[in-house]
Amino acid sequence: MKRIKPVIRKEFSHILRDPKSLIIIFVMPILMIFIYGYAISFDLDNIKLGVLDYSKSDISREFIKSFLQNKYFKFVEVKEDEKTPDLFEKKLKRGDISEVMIIPHDFSDKIKEMKSTEVGFIIDGSDSNSANIIYQYNEMITFNFIKRFQDLDNILKIHTKVYFNPEVKSAFFFIPGLVAVLLLMVSALLTSLSISRERESGSIDLIFISPIKSHEIILGKTLAYIFVALMVETLIIVFSRYWFGMPVRGDILTLLAFSLLYIFTGLSLGVLISISAPDQKTAMLITLLVTMLPSIMLSGFIFPLSSLSPVLRGFSNIVPATYFLKIIRGVILKGASVTDFIRDGAILLFMSIILTIISVRKFSKNRDRGT
Amino acid sequence: MADNIIEIRDLTKKFGNFIAVNSISFDIKKGEILGFLGPNGAGKTTTIKMITGLLKISSGSIKINSLDAEKHRDATRMDIGYMSQKFSLYPKLTALENIEFFAGISGLTRKGISEKYTEIKKYVPENLLKQNIEKLPPGIKQRVALFAALLSDPEILLLDEPTSGVDPEVRRNFWQEIYSLKKEGKTILVTTHNLDEVEYADKIVILHRGNIIVEGEPEGLLAGSGKDSIEELFKEAVKENEEN
Repeated sequence: MKRIKPVIRKEFSHILRDPKSLIIIFVMPILMIFIYGYAISFDLDNIKLGVLDYSKSDISREFIKSFLQNKYFKFVEVKEDEKTPDLFEKKLKRGDISEVMIIPHDFSDKIKEMKSTEVGFIIDGSDSNSANIIYQYNEMITFNFIKRFQDLDNILKIHTKVYFNPEVKSAFFFIPGLVAVLLLMVSALLTSLSISRERESGSIDLIFISPIKSHEIILGKTLAYIFVALMVETLIIVFSRYWFGMPVRGDILTLLAFSLLYIFTGLSLGVLISISAPDQKTAMLITLLVTMLPSIMLSGFIFPLSSLSPVLRGFSNIVPATYFLKIIRGVILKGASVTDFIRDGAILLFMSIILTIISVRKFSKNRDRGT
Repeated sequence: MADNIIEIRDLTKKFGNFIAVNSISFDIKKGEILGFLGPNGAGKTTTIKMITGLLKISSGSIKINSLDAEKHRDATRMDIGYMSQKFSLYPKLTALENIEFFAGISGLTRKGISEKYTEIKKYVPENLLKQNIEKLPPGIKQRVALFAALLSDPEILLLDEPTSGVDPEVRRNFWQEIYSLKKEGKTILVTTHNLDEVEYADKIVILHRGNIIVEGEPEGLLAGSGKDSIEELFKEAVKENEEN
């Protein structure tokens, strides 16, 4: 511990006095949360709707109104004499509208007679996600409309309650995921940049020929940066809580305890990267590639793991964010406790131990071998 | 030889097909100042890095205090103080914080570090010691780097281009410092590409393209060759080396 303390003190002082490092560590994550919090969203508002109403009746107008009364749809005005299927097809192709509603002549009569009738919807399917959501909106609004004419509640009552995210806000789903992605990236950057900076300046040579052991160097850097990474995590969560109104339902100490394991994994990964990176730029590029890409694509951050191919799903098992994502979403959105994530925590602990052992060994080997 | 503190035999370093240091042999006696001279790219820094263990040797041997440096790296490193070409201090830390760090990782106690603070204040004004290294002039950085290399009180001091980038007065003062250290019994290997600095050395080794082209005491070398200066001697030796 005698030789570890100076390393901790030095890392702290050096990073807190370096504006470039401070920007990367504290400003970049906040900026990314801010941008992603608004940019990435599965919420679909203002769906541009074209209407071909051949019925032109009170009931058909009521039906159209039921779509336009909510925030999801926006009516696209077209002159009455120009309304043709061809025109709407052109508009769909150009992207001027996302959906066309076609109401037949006998729509009103058949509804009044309680007979079966049909309404046509043509959806722009070039964006399959949006098309799927529009399809679900159509079903929901139509079902509610029909209920006015037939007492369907006698046959089937639907009671839906959305737990943990009642407003079904995408931001609440994404932000905890972003915390997981950013925390791994920042942790790995901290160590990889620190070591590659020392290599560039030559100060690593002075450390290498001193009596300090390799595990003491890594432990000193890791302990200093664990604290810095926890500060970054707290900052992101506080920002998300007060800027985006993200609920924090679970125990923050539970989250911080699991975060320690996750940060340790990221820091060790950074040490491993620094061994093969000759300079800071390379270290930064490799770190971003190794941490961000798998964390975004293969952890369940955007795409559910069940939708991945078996090979990629297998690969997702070695991505640390896969486990931390479950933990952070569970704690923040669901108020889950430690016992809910024993398995995920154990895997993160295992990963952090293995990566630390590998990084210390590689670092020592690199030191003994010379460059 | 018993009074040789460093013995280098057939030392070679290859980077792929490139031979940076080509089977060189020389000794350094205890308490001697060895001037390790040569133009940029001659192999001076590579040799120093092999002595410190920062670079693995391709072939040959290095003995420090009769111990094989490759086999007893931890033990031989304890005898070495190293000052690198770029000084290699932490730019965002003050001079005192740099000293505290290097003293700390060398295993010095709080008391030991505090004694070192008192010592450096004799050489560098206190107000400068509290400034970040990046804001200090090269001469002060050089002094701090030298002080850092001496923190563990090593027997051998390896100084890689310590006088590059400093003005003549700072250079003269630095060499006076080196002489004081010699009087204290330190063995010093100094690399430089300034041939006029050889007057300070007890012995010189001139490297060119990884080969030793001149070795001996400066006065003896000049007397034996009939040349007026080491520079002339160097030019002649380089010419011969290139012809061969």
